[in-house]
Amino acid sequence: MSINKVSLSSRKSWNLSLDSWAVVAALLAALLIRAGVFTRVPW
Amino acid sequence: MADAIVLPQARPAQPALQFLRVIPGVLLLAAVGYAGKLLERNVGTYAKAHHWTFPNIEYVLWAILIGLAISNTVGVPQIFRSGVATYEFWLKAGIVLLGSRFLLGDVLKLGGVSLALVAMEIAVAIAFMTLLGRAFGLRPKLTSLLAVGSAVCGVSAIIATQGAIEADDEDSSFAIAAILALGALSLFTFPLIGHALHLSDHAYGLWAGLAVDNTAEATAAGALYSDAAGKLAVLAKTTRNAMIGFVVLAYAIYWASRGEAKTVGNKAAFLWQKFPKFVLGFLLISILATYHFFTKEQTTALANLSRWAFLLTFAGVGLRTNFREMRKQGLRPFAVGAIGEVVIAVFTLALVAGAGKLFGF
Repeated sequence: MSINKVSLSSRKSWNLSLDSWAVVAALLAALLIRAGVFTRVPW
Repeated sequence: MADAIVLPQARPAQPALQFLRVIPGVLLLAAVGYAGKLLERNVGTYAKAHHWTFPNIEYVLWAILIGLAISNTVGVPQIFRSGVATYEFWLKAGIVLLGSRFLLGDVLKLGGVSLALVAMEIAVAIAFMTLLGRAFGLRPKLTSLLAVGSAVCGVSAIIATQGAIEADDEDSSFAIAAILALGALSLFTFPLIGHALHLSDHAYGLWAGLAVDNTAEATAAGALYSDAAGKLAVLAKTTRNAMIGFVVLAYAIYWASRGEAKTVGNKAAFLWQKFPKFVLGFLLISILATYHFFTKEQTTALANLSRWAFLLTFAGVGLRTNFREMRKQGLRPFAVGAIGEVVIAVFTLALVAGAGKLFGF
């Protein structure tokens, strides 16, 4: 008797969640401001 | 012999293509948000010059109103939709950057107060919504989704719970529609009630953060009252968001024990997966600001950047709210949500009043 097995590729996904991307973007912006790349942000 | 069936993998879209796809929508968010900012400045000046009595309407409300007008009249064309959906990204980035305006001591003190209030709010909200769902004869999993949505954090919590308890897509869209419709209503009712009751910025901000379900709407409801109230609303809401993993885990265990969902294996990994990472970003920026990693000017720049991010968020709140679509989802989930929200709003108002007497705000 044959057994049907579903094999999926178990390659690890390194895609970040939207949540994590937002943190990365905000921290990067904070570092750029700290490094003096942007000296002021008008409002 | 075992036959191996290899399922075809969907080819992910190219990152560059994905990036290009969001540009029109992001530009629309920026245009709507900036129009709101211009209207705030110019309408007030025009009314003053013509001796009209006109209430000072903040950019937050203008941006939401313009977005609502577009979404509910001409609609948002397909080309803008992926970009408009990025409003959640801007919201979370804005919250992380807002951490620069909180010293760690304030976060711990206010966060501690918020945490105690959030625990009480979650317990009462879940118990009441569950009873209400049963009384109205809603499907049990729809009741669970509505309870989580109103107790913790709106749409994100509903989506996280849907996967964990294996609820139908239909139940999930009912619950999301009800929570979004009630969130839109809260934008107009909460500031009016706050002003009528002469709530302080502190009390109102805590109340909005505890009672308004979706993070974007809670942030907007706070900012509509005042800048200080907006800050407090974000802090209280962030504390509430931090509880999402625990509540979803409890529901997953409950439905698994009834044989209607998968058993949760590694609970710590489950909690980490559901934990909103922007809470950690917010704390990190707050710690850096507390230990003077940023100069005063840099802190102002970070705070302004956070305002720009929120500006895009508020435009997105209006643009993604379509009342016609929400009406299609039926009245009963909305009625359960509405009754529950009113009770939760009254309960959290009483909690905030009690905490205000205890801690003097």
